[in-house]
Amino acid sequence: MIYVALAYGFIWGAVFTYVLLVGRRVARINAEIEDLRRRVKLGS
Amino acid sequence: MARPSWISQAARIAWKDLHIEGRSREVVYTMGFMAALVVLVFSFAFISGQENTVGPDAVAGILWVAVLFSGTVALSRSFDRERESEAIRSLLLSPVPRSAIYAGKLAATAAMMFLVELLLAPLLAALFSAGIWPHALWLSLLLMLGTIGFCSVGVIFSAALLRARSRDALLGALLFPIVIPVLLAASRATAYLLDPAAPDLDPALFWTRFLAALDVVFVVVGLWSFEPVVMGE
Amino acid sequence: MLSPMSSRRNSSTAFIVGLLLTMLGFFVVPLLVAMAPLERTMGLVQKIFYFHVPCAWLLMLSTFVCAAGSLAYLFRGSERGDRLALCSAELGVLFGLCVMVTGPLWARAAWGAFWTWDVRLTSSLLLWLMLIAYGLARRYGGANGRRLAAAMALFAAADVPLVYLSVNIWRGLHPTTKVVSSLAPGMRTPFFFSLAIFSALWGVLLALRMRVEGAQAQLVELALTVEDAEEKSP
Repeated sequence: MIYVALAYGFIWGAVFTYVLLVGRRVARINAEIEDLRRRVKLGS
Repeated sequence: MARPSWISQAARIAWKDLHIEGRSREVVYTMGFMAALVVLVFSFAFISGQENTVGPDAVAGILWVAVLFSGTVALSRSFDRERESEAIRSLLLSPVPRSAIYAGKLAATAAMMFLVELLLAPLLAALFSAGIWPHALWLSLLLMLGTIGFCSVGVIFSAALLRARSRDALLGALLFPIVIPVLLAASRATAYLLDPAAPDLDPALFWTRFLAALDVVFVVVGLWSFEPVVMGE
Repeated sequence: MLSPMSSRRNSSTAFIVGLLLTMLGFFVVPLLVAMAPLERTMGLVQKIFYFHVPCAWLLMLSTFVCAAGSLAYLFRGSERGDRLALCSAELGVLFGLCVMVTGPLWARAAWGAFWTWDVRLTSSLLLWLMLIAYGLARRYGGANGRRLAAAMALFAAADVPLVYLSVNIWRGLHPTTKVVSSLAPGMRTPFFFSLAIFSALWGVLLALRMRVEGAQAQLVELALTVEDAEEKSP
Protein backbone atom coordinates (compact mmCIF):
# COMPACT_ATOMS: atom_id res chain seq x y z
CA MET A 1 0.00 0.00 0.00
CA ILE A 2 1.01 3.55 -0.37
CA TYR A 3 1.71 3.99 3.33
CA VAL A 4 4.43 1.39 3.24
CA ALA A 5 6.08 3.06 0.29
CA LEU A 6 5.82 6.46 1.94
CA ALA A 7 7.29 5.19 5.17
CA TYR A 8 10.12 3.43 3.50
CA GLY A 9 10.83 6.28 1.14
CA PHE A 10 10.94 8.73 3.99
CA ILE A 11 13.45 6.75 5.97
CA TRP A 12 15.87 6.42 3.14
CA GLY A 13 15.30 9.97 2.07
CA ALA A 14 16.20 11.12 5.54
CA VAL A 15 19.24 8.88 5.79
CA PHE A 16 20.46 9.93 2.36
CA THR A 17 20.01 13.58 3.18
CA TYR A 18 21.97 13.09 6.37
CA VAL A 19 24.80 11.36 4.55
CA LEU A 20 24.87 14.14 1.98
CA LEU A 21 24.98 16.79 4.69
CA VAL A 22 27.85 14.99 6.33
CA GLY A 23 29.52 14.82 2.94
CA ARG A 24 29.26 18.59 2.64
CA ARG A 25 30.91 18.91 6.01
CA VAL A 26 33.71 16.64 4.86
CA ALA A 27 34.20 18.79 1.78
CA ARG A 28 34.39 21.89 3.93
CA ILE A 29 36.94 20.32 6.23
CA ASN A 30 39.02 19.24 3.28
CA ALA A 31 38.92 22.75 1.89
CA GLU A 32 40.16 24.13 5.18
CA ILE A 33 42.94 21.59 5.30
CA GLU A 34 43.98 22.67 1.82
CA ASP A 35 44.00 26.23 2.98
CA LEU A 36 46.14 25.38 5.98
CA ARG A 37 48.60 23.48 3.85
CA ARG A 38 48.96 26.46 1.59
CA ARG A 39 49.63 28.72 4.49
CA VAL A 40 52.20 26.35 5.92
CA LYS A 41 53.95 26.23 2.52
CA LEU A 42 54.02 30.00 2.28
CA GLY A 43 55.42 30.31 5.75
CA SER A 44 58.18 27.73 5.55
CA MET B 1 36.85 20.88 65.43
CA ALA B 2 35.17 17.86 63.91
CA ARG B 3 34.22 18.19 60.28
CA PRO B 4 30.51 18.86 59.88
CA SER B 5 28.59 15.96 58.49
CA TRP B 6 27.35 15.94 54.94
CA ILE B 7 23.79 16.22 56.08
CA SER B 8 24.43 19.19 58.32
CA GLN B 9 26.20 20.98 55.51
CA ALA B 10 23.37 20.34 53.12
CA ALA B 11 20.92 21.41 55.77
CA ARG B 12 22.83 24.60 56.37
CA ILE B 13 22.73 25.50 52.70
CA ALA B 14 19.04 24.75 52.55
CA TRP B 15 18.43 26.77 55.68
CA LYS B 16 20.38 29.72 54.32
CA ASP B 17 18.24 29.82 51.22
CA LEU B 18 15.01 29.40 53.13
CA HIS B 19 16.04 32.04 55.60
CA ILE B 20 16.72 34.58 52.86
CA GLU B 21 13.47 33.61 51.25
CA GLY B 22 11.66 33.96 54.53
CA ARG B 23 12.63 37.59 54.71
CA SER B 24 11.90 38.63 51.15
CA ARG B 25 9.29 35.98 50.32
CA GLU B 26 10.09 36.81 46.72
CA VAL B 27 10.02 33.35 45.24
CA VAL B 28 6.89 32.27 47.02
CA TYR B 29 5.00 35.34 45.94
CA THR B 30 6.07 35.33 42.30
CA MET B 31 5.74 31.59 41.96
CA GLY B 32 2.43 31.54 43.74
CA PHE B 33 1.06 34.31 41.61
CA MET B 34 2.22 32.64 38.44
CA ALA B 35 0.73 29.32 39.47
CA ALA B 36 -2.60 30.91 40.21
CA LEU B 37 -2.48 32.68 36.87
CA VAL B 38 -1.79 29.48 35.02
CA VAL B 39 -4.78 27.87 36.67
CA LEU B 40 -6.95 30.81 35.71
CA VAL B 41 -5.69 30.80 32.15
CA PHE B 42 -6.62 27.14 31.88
CA SER B 43 -10.01 27.71 33.34
CA PHE B 44 -10.73 30.43 30.82
CA ALA B 45 -9.37 28.32 28.00
CA PHE B 46 -11.22 25.12 28.83
CA ILE B 47 -14.48 25.90 30.46
CA SER B 48 -17.32 26.52 28.11
CA GLY B 49 -20.47 28.35 29.02
CA GLN B 50 -22.54 25.27 29.78
CA GLU B 51 -20.57 23.34 32.32
CA ASN B 52 -19.08 24.76 35.44
CA THR B 53 -16.32 22.30 35.88
CA VAL B 54 -13.96 19.85 34.26
CA GLY B 55 -13.29 16.21 35.04
CA PRO B 56 -10.66 14.93 37.47
CA ASP B 57 -8.24 14.14 34.65
CA ALA B 58 -8.22 17.73 33.54
CA VAL B 59 -7.98 19.12 37.06
CA ALA B 60 -5.01 16.92 37.79
CA GLY B 61 -3.42 18.03 34.56
CA ILE B 62 -4.01 21.68 35.30
CA LEU B 63 -2.54 21.35 38.76
CA TRP B 64 0.63 19.76 37.53
CA VAL B 65 1.10 22.02 34.56
CA ALA B 66 0.75 24.97 36.89
CA VAL B 67 3.35 23.41 39.18
CA LEU B 68 5.71 22.86 36.28
CA PHE B 69 5.44 26.31 34.79
CA SER B 70 5.62 28.19 38.05
CA GLY B 71 8.33 25.85 39.22
CA THR B 72 10.66 27.15 36.56
CA VAL B 73 10.28 30.55 38.19
CA ALA B 74 11.39 29.11 41.51
CA LEU B 75 14.26 27.28 39.86
CA SER B 76 15.68 30.21 38.00
CA ARG B 77 15.50 32.27 41.15
CA SER B 78 17.16 29.60 43.24
CA PHE B 79 20.48 30.33 41.65
CA ASP B 80 19.80 33.90 40.69
CA ARG B 81 20.89 35.21 44.04
CA GLU B 82 24.22 33.48 43.74
CA ARG B 83 24.61 34.69 40.22
CA GLU B 84 23.99 38.30 41.01
CA SER B 85 26.44 38.50 43.81
CA GLU B 86 29.00 36.11 42.36
CA ALA B 87 28.40 34.08 45.44
CA ILE B 88 28.46 30.90 43.43
CA ARG B 89 32.20 31.18 43.06
CA SER B 90 32.84 31.47 46.76
CA LEU B 91 30.43 28.65 47.37
CA LEU B 92 32.33 26.45 44.98
CA LEU B 93 35.66 27.42 46.45
CA SER B 94 34.60 26.37 49.90
CA PRO B 95 35.34 22.83 50.99
CA VAL B 96 31.68 21.94 51.07
CA PRO B 97 31.12 18.80 49.03
CA ARG B 98 29.27 19.63 45.85
CA SER B 99 26.66 16.98 46.43
CA ALA B 100 25.77 18.70 49.67
CA ILE B 101 25.28 21.96 47.80
CA TYR B 102 23.04 20.14 45.38
CA ALA B 103 21.05 18.51 48.15
CA GLY B 104 20.68 21.76 50.02
CA LYS B 105 19.50 23.64 46.95
CA LEU B 106 17.15 20.83 46.07
CA ALA B 107 15.64 20.78 49.54
CA ALA B 108 15.19 24.54 49.69
CA THR B 109 13.65 24.89 46.24
CA ALA B 110 11.39 21.90 46.75
CA ALA B 111 10.25 23.29 50.09
CA MET B 112 9.36 26.63 48.55
CA MET B 113 7.48 24.98 45.73
CA PHE B 114 5.67 22.67 48.11
CA LEU B 115 4.47 25.59 50.16
CA VAL B 116 2.96 27.19 47.10
CA GLU B 117 1.41 23.91 46.02
CA LEU B 118 -0.30 23.47 49.36
CA LEU B 119 -2.03 26.76 48.70
CA LEU B 120 -2.68 25.94 45.07
CA ALA B 121 -4.52 22.68 45.61
CA PRO B 122 -7.34 24.18 47.66
CA LEU B 123 -7.64 26.92 45.08
CA LEU B 124 -8.21 24.30 42.44
CA ALA B 125 -10.67 22.52 44.66
CA ALA B 126 -12.62 25.71 44.99
CA LEU B 127 -12.51 26.64 41.32
CA PHE B 128 -13.30 23.24 39.89
CA SER B 129 -15.16 21.56 42.72
CA ALA B 130 -12.43 18.96 42.80
CA GLY B 131 -12.45 16.46 45.63
CA ILE B 132 -9.05 16.95 47.17
CA TRP B 133 -10.01 16.32 50.79
CA PRO B 134 -10.77 12.56 50.81
CA HIS B 135 -7.15 11.74 50.05
CA ALA B 136 -5.51 14.96 51.16
CA LEU B 137 -2.52 13.26 52.77
CA TRP B 138 -1.81 11.09 49.77
CA LEU B 139 -2.18 14.09 47.54
CA SER B 140 0.34 15.99 49.61
CA LEU B 141 2.72 13.08 49.27
CA LEU B 142 2.28 13.15 45.52
CA LEU B 143 2.92 16.87 45.46
CA MET B 144 6.10 16.37 47.45
CA LEU B 145 7.31 13.51 45.27
CA GLY B 146 6.55 15.30 42.05
CA THR B 147 8.24 18.46 43.26
CA ILE B 148 11.34 16.56 44.29
CA GLY B 149 11.50 14.90 40.89
CA PHE B 150 11.10 18.21 39.15
CA CYS B 151 13.66 20.02 41.27
CA SER B 152 16.19 17.21 41.15
CA VAL B 153 16.64 17.83 37.46
CA GLY B 154 15.90 21.53 37.57
CA VAL B 155 18.58 22.44 40.10
CA ILE B 156 21.28 21.02 37.87
CA PHE B 157 20.04 22.71 34.76
CA SER B 158 19.55 26.00 36.51
CA ALA B 159 23.06 25.86 37.92
CA ALA B 160 24.54 24.94 34.56
CA LEU B 161 22.75 27.75 32.79
CA LEU B 162 23.91 30.40 35.24
CA ARG B 163 25.98 32.24 32.73
CA ALA B 164 24.28 31.35 29.48
CA ARG B 165 22.73 34.16 27.56
CA SER B 166 19.54 32.39 26.59
CA ARG B 167 19.12 31.12 30.12
CA ASP B 168 15.46 31.78 30.65
CA ALA B 169 14.40 30.55 27.26
CA LEU B 170 16.46 27.43 27.60
CA LEU B 171 15.60 26.33 31.10
CA GLY B 172 12.04 25.36 30.28
CA ALA B 173 12.92 23.91 26.89
CA LEU B 174 15.58 21.66 28.33
CA LEU B 175 13.81 20.77 31.52
CA PHE B 176 10.39 19.78 30.29
CA PRO B 177 11.23 16.82 28.07
CA ILE B 178 13.21 15.21 30.86
CA VAL B 179 10.59 15.94 33.46
CA ILE B 180 7.54 14.81 31.51
CA PRO B 181 7.61 11.30 32.97
CA VAL B 182 7.40 12.91 36.42
CA LEU B 183 4.50 15.01 35.23
CA LEU B 184 2.86 11.96 33.73
CA ALA B 185 3.12 9.79 36.79
CA ALA B 186 2.10 12.56 39.15
CA SER B 187 -0.91 13.71 37.17
CA ARG B 188 -2.14 10.17 36.53
CA ALA B 189 -1.97 9.36 40.21
CA THR B 190 -3.62 12.65 41.11
CA ALA B 191 -6.39 12.07 38.60
CA TYR B 192 -7.25 8.75 40.19
CA LEU B 193 -7.25 10.28 43.63
CA LEU B 194 -9.50 13.10 42.55
CA ASP B 195 -11.98 10.86 40.80
CA PRO B 196 -14.90 10.09 43.06
CA ALA B 197 -16.06 7.37 40.70
CA ALA B 198 -12.81 5.42 40.65
CA PRO B 199 -13.43 1.75 41.53
CA ASP B 200 -10.18 1.26 43.39
CA LEU B 201 -6.95 3.07 43.96
CA ASP B 202 -4.56 0.51 42.51
CA PRO B 203 -3.61 2.67 39.53
CA ALA B 204 -2.90 5.55 41.87
CA LEU B 205 -0.68 3.29 43.93
CA PHE B 206 1.13 2.13 40.85
CA TRP B 207 1.80 5.64 39.65
CA THR B 208 2.89 6.77 43.08
CA ARG B 209 5.42 3.96 43.23
CA PHE B 210 6.57 4.78 39.73
CA LEU B 211 6.99 8.41 40.73
CA ALA B 212 8.98 7.44 43.78
CA ALA B 213 11.24 5.25 41.64
CA LEU B 214 11.77 8.12 39.23
CA ASP B 215 12.66 10.37 42.11
CA VAL B 216 15.24 7.99 43.43
CA VAL B 217 16.85 7.63 40.02
CA PHE B 218 16.83 11.35 39.33
CA VAL B 219 18.22 12.36 42.70
CA VAL B 220 20.99 9.80 42.40
CA VAL B 221 21.91 11.00 38.92
CA GLY B 222 21.68 14.55 40.16
CA LEU B 223 23.94 14.00 43.16
CA TRP B 224 26.41 12.34 40.89
CA SER B 225 26.47 14.79 38.06
CA PHE B 226 26.13 18.11 39.87
CA GLU B 227 29.83 18.50 40.46
CA PRO B 228 31.16 17.84 36.96
CA VAL B 229 28.48 19.98 35.40
CA VAL B 230 28.93 22.97 37.66
CA MET B 231 32.69 22.74 37.92
CA GLY B 232 32.90 23.93 34.37
CA GLU B 233 31.88 27.35 35.56
CA MET C 1 48.76 12.20 15.12
CA LEU C 2 47.40 12.05 11.61
CA SER C 3 48.85 14.45 9.13
CA PRO C 4 46.30 16.65 7.39
CA MET C 5 46.65 14.77 4.15
CA SER C 6 45.87 11.31 5.44
CA SER C 7 43.15 12.68 7.64
CA ARG C 8 41.49 14.09 4.58
CA ARG C 9 41.75 10.87 2.71
CA ASN C 10 40.30 9.01 5.65
CA SER C 11 37.31 11.27 5.86
CA SER C 12 36.57 11.06 2.18
CA THR C 13 36.96 7.32 2.07
CA ALA C 14 34.76 6.87 5.06
CA PHE C 15 32.18 9.07 3.47
CA ILE C 16 32.15 7.09 0.26
CA VAL C 17 31.94 3.82 2.11
CA GLY C 18 29.05 5.18 4.13
CA LEU C 19 27.26 6.30 1.01
CA LEU C 20 27.70 2.97 -0.71
CA LEU C 21 26.51 0.97 2.24
CA THR C 22 23.48 3.19 2.54
CA MET C 23 22.58 2.57 -1.07
CA LEU C 24 23.15 -1.14 -0.65
CA GLY C 25 20.89 -1.30 2.35
CA PHE C 26 18.26 0.62 0.49
CA PHE C 27 17.97 -2.12 -2.07
CA VAL C 28 18.38 -5.13 0.15
CA VAL C 29 15.76 -4.41 2.76
CA PRO C 30 12.71 -4.26 0.46
CA LEU C 31 13.64 -7.62 -0.93
CA LEU C 32 13.61 -9.12 2.50
CA VAL C 33 10.41 -7.42 3.42
CA ALA C 34 8.67 -8.56 0.28
CA MET C 35 9.65 -12.12 1.05
CA ALA C 36 8.02 -12.04 4.47
CA PRO C 37 4.53 -13.53 4.81
CA LEU C 38 1.52 -11.28 5.10
CA GLU C 39 0.25 -10.71 8.59
CA ARG C 40 -3.28 -11.84 9.28
CA THR C 41 -5.11 -8.82 10.56
CA MET C 42 -3.29 -5.88 9.13
CA GLY C 43 -2.14 -7.12 5.77
CA LEU C 44 0.39 -5.24 3.74
CA VAL C 45 0.59 -2.26 6.07
CA GLN C 46 2.11 -4.38 8.79
CA LYS C 47 5.29 -4.42 6.75
CA ILE C 48 6.06 -0.98 8.05
CA PHE C 49 6.84 -2.82 11.25
CA TYR C 50 10.06 -4.06 9.65
CA PHE C 51 11.51 -0.59 9.49
CA HIS C 52 9.59 1.18 12.21
CA VAL C 53 10.78 -1.07 15.00
CA PRO C 54 14.45 -1.06 14.01
CA CYS C 55 14.33 2.73 13.90
CA ALA C 56 12.82 2.83 17.37
CA TRP C 57 15.47 0.43 18.57
CA LEU C 58 18.16 2.63 17.05
CA LEU C 59 16.66 5.66 18.76
CA MET C 60 17.06 3.94 22.11
CA LEU C 61 20.52 2.67 21.28
CA SER C 62 21.59 6.16 20.30
CA THR C 63 20.35 7.50 23.61
CA PHE C 64 22.34 4.98 25.58
CA VAL C 65 25.49 5.52 23.57
CA CYS C 66 25.04 9.26 24.00
CA ALA C 67 24.74 8.77 27.74
CA ALA C 68 27.82 6.56 27.79
CA GLY C 69 29.83 9.17 25.94
CA SER C 70 28.47 11.85 28.25
CA LEU C 71 29.51 9.83 31.27
CA ALA C 72 33.05 9.56 29.95
CA TYR C 73 33.10 13.26 29.19
CA LEU C 74 31.70 14.41 32.51
CA PHE C 75 33.62 12.13 34.80
CA ARG C 76 36.84 11.56 32.95
CA GLY C 77 37.09 14.62 30.78
CA SER C 78 37.18 12.50 27.66
CA GLU C 79 36.84 14.66 24.58
CA ARG C 80 36.30 11.57 22.53
CA GLY C 81 33.40 10.69 24.78
CA ASP C 82 31.93 14.09 24.13
CA ARG C 83 32.28 13.56 20.39
CA LEU C 84 30.64 10.18 20.69
CA ALA C 85 27.76 11.74 22.58
CA LEU C 86 27.30 14.39 19.92
CA CYS C 87 27.37 11.98 17.02
CA SER C 88 25.05 9.45 18.56
CA ALA C 89 22.63 12.19 19.58
CA GLU C 90 22.53 13.32 15.96
CA LEU C 91 21.81 9.82 14.78
CA GLY C 92 19.19 9.50 17.48
CA VAL C 93 17.44 12.59 16.17
CA LEU C 94 17.64 11.22 12.65
CA PHE C 95 16.21 7.82 13.43
CA GLY C 96 13.79 9.33 15.90
CA LEU C 97 12.45 11.39 13.04
CA CYS C 98 11.97 8.19 11.10
CA VAL C 99 10.09 6.64 14.01
CA MET C 100 7.89 9.67 14.36
CA VAL C 101 6.97 9.59 10.69
CA THR C 102 6.57 5.84 10.16
CA GLY C 103 4.71 5.35 13.43
CA PRO C 104 1.80 7.63 12.61
CA LEU C 105 1.73 6.31 9.07
CA TRP C 106 1.32 2.82 10.44
CA ALA C 107 -1.20 4.00 12.99
CA ARG C 108 -3.21 5.77 10.36
CA ALA C 109 -3.31 2.79 8.08
CA ALA C 110 -3.95 0.25 10.81
CA TRP C 111 -6.17 2.06 13.29
CA GLY C 112 -7.41 5.15 11.51
CA ALA C 113 -5.79 7.81 13.66
CA PHE C 114 -2.42 9.42 13.14
CA TRP C 115 -1.66 9.59 16.80
CA THR C 116 -2.80 7.60 19.77
CA TRP C 117 -1.53 8.60 23.16
CA ASP C 118 -0.26 5.21 23.99
CA VAL C 119 2.87 4.63 25.92
CA ARG C 120 5.28 3.34 23.34
CA LEU C 121 4.75 6.04 20.77
CA THR C 122 4.64 8.70 23.45
CA SER C 123 7.82 7.56 25.11
CA SER C 124 9.57 7.46 21.76
CA LEU C 125 8.44 11.00 21.18
CA LEU C 126 9.78 12.02 24.57
CA LEU C 127 13.11 10.41 23.90
CA TRP C 128 13.34 12.16 20.59
CA LEU C 129 12.52 15.48 22.21
CA MET C 130 15.21 14.89 24.79
CA LEU C 131 17.80 14.32 22.11
CA ILE C 132 16.71 17.48 20.32
CA ALA C 133 16.97 19.34 23.61
CA TYR C 134 20.45 17.86 23.93
CA GLY C 135 21.39 19.54 20.68
CA LEU C 136 19.89 22.83 21.83
CA ALA C 137 21.78 22.67 25.09
CA ARG C 138 25.05 22.12 23.27
CA ARG C 139 24.50 24.96 20.86
CA TYR C 140 22.91 27.60 23.01
CA GLY C 141 23.85 26.62 26.51
CA GLY C 142 26.72 29.04 26.68
CA ALA C 143 30.23 28.16 27.71
CA ASN C 144 29.00 25.28 29.79
CA GLY C 145 26.70 23.94 27.13
CA ARG C 146 28.46 20.66 26.58
CA ARG C 147 28.41 19.70 30.21
CA LEU C 148 24.79 20.65 30.58
CA ALA C 149 23.95 18.58 27.54
CA ALA C 150 25.91 15.69 28.96
CA ALA C 151 23.89 15.84 32.18
CA MET C 152 20.73 15.86 30.09
CA ALA C 153 21.85 12.74 28.32
CA LEU C 154 22.30 11.01 31.66
CA PHE C 155 18.80 11.89 32.77
CA ALA C 156 17.37 10.88 29.44
CA ALA C 157 19.02 7.48 29.62
CA ALA C 158 17.66 7.03 33.13
CA ASP C 159 14.18 7.89 31.90
CA VAL C 160 14.16 5.34 29.12
CA PRO C 161 14.14 2.02 30.96
CA LEU C 162 11.57 3.22 33.47
CA VAL C 163 9.15 4.37 30.85
CA TYR C 164 9.83 1.27 28.78
CA LEU C 165 9.01 -1.02 31.67
CA SER C 166 5.76 0.77 32.31
CA VAL C 167 4.62 -0.36 28.86
CA ASN C 168 3.89 -3.79 30.18
CA ILE C 169 1.70 -2.48 32.90
CA TRP C 170 -0.03 0.39 31.20
CA ARG C 171 -1.50 -1.13 28.11
CA GLY C 172 -2.40 0.83 25.08
CA LEU C 173 -3.14 0.15 21.45
CA HIS C 174 0.52 -0.51 20.95
CA PRO C 175 1.69 -4.09 21.03
CA THR C 176 3.45 -4.94 24.25
CA THR C 177 7.12 -5.71 24.45
CA LYS C 178 6.45 -9.37 23.88
CA VAL C 179 5.67 -8.86 20.22
CA VAL C 180 9.08 -9.76 18.91
CA SER C 181 9.32 -13.12 20.59
CA SER C 182 5.84 -14.01 19.47
CA LEU C 183 6.48 -13.32 15.81
CA ALA C 184 5.55 -16.07 13.41
CA PRO C 185 8.70 -17.91 12.30
CA GLY C 186 8.40 -16.77 8.72
CA MET C 187 8.50 -13.19 9.87
CA ARG C 188 11.35 -13.57 12.26
CA THR C 189 14.11 -13.85 9.72
CA PRO C 190 13.30 -10.77 7.68
CA PHE C 191 12.77 -8.84 10.86
CA PHE C 192 16.12 -9.72 12.32
CA PHE C 193 17.79 -9.18 9.01
CA SER C 194 16.22 -5.79 8.74
CA LEU C 195 17.26 -5.03 12.28
CA ALA C 196 20.78 -6.15 11.52
CA ILE C 197 21.03 -4.05 8.39
CA PHE C 198 19.67 -0.98 10.07
CA SER C 199 22.01 -1.48 12.99
CA ALA C 200 24.92 -1.87 10.65
CA LEU C 201 23.86 1.30 8.92
CA TRP C 202 23.74 3.04 12.26
CA GLY C 203 27.20 1.78 13.11
CA VAL C 204 28.60 2.96 9.81
CA LEU C 205 27.00 6.37 10.11
CA LEU C 206 28.31 6.69 13.64
CA ALA C 207 31.83 5.75 12.61
CA LEU C 208 31.67 8.14 9.70
CA ARG C 209 30.39 10.97 11.81
CA MET C 210 32.94 10.30 14.52
CA ARG C 211 35.70 10.44 11.97
CA VAL C 212 34.45 13.75 10.69
CA GLU C 213 34.23 15.11 14.20
CA GLY C 214 37.71 13.87 14.98
CA ALA C 215 39.05 15.48 11.82
CA GLN C 216 37.33 18.68 12.81
CA ALA C 217 38.97 18.65 16.20
CA GLN C 218 42.39 18.04 14.70
CA LEU C 219 41.76 20.76 12.20
CA VAL C 220 41.09 23.25 14.95
CA GLU C 221 44.30 22.25 16.70
CA LEU C 222 46.30 22.57 13.50
CA ALA C 223 44.76 25.91 12.64
CA LEU C 224 45.72 27.25 16.01
CA THR C 225 49.30 26.01 15.62
CA VAL C 226 49.58 27.54 12.19
CA GLU C 227 48.22 30.85 13.42
CA ASP C 228 50.66 30.83 16.27
CA ALA C 229 53.52 30.10 13.92
CA GLU C 230 52.43 32.86 11.56
CA GLU C 231 52.30 35.35 14.36
CA LYS C 232 55.76 34.51 15.51
CA SER C 233 57.39 34.79 12.08
CA PRO C 234 55.69 37.52 10.05
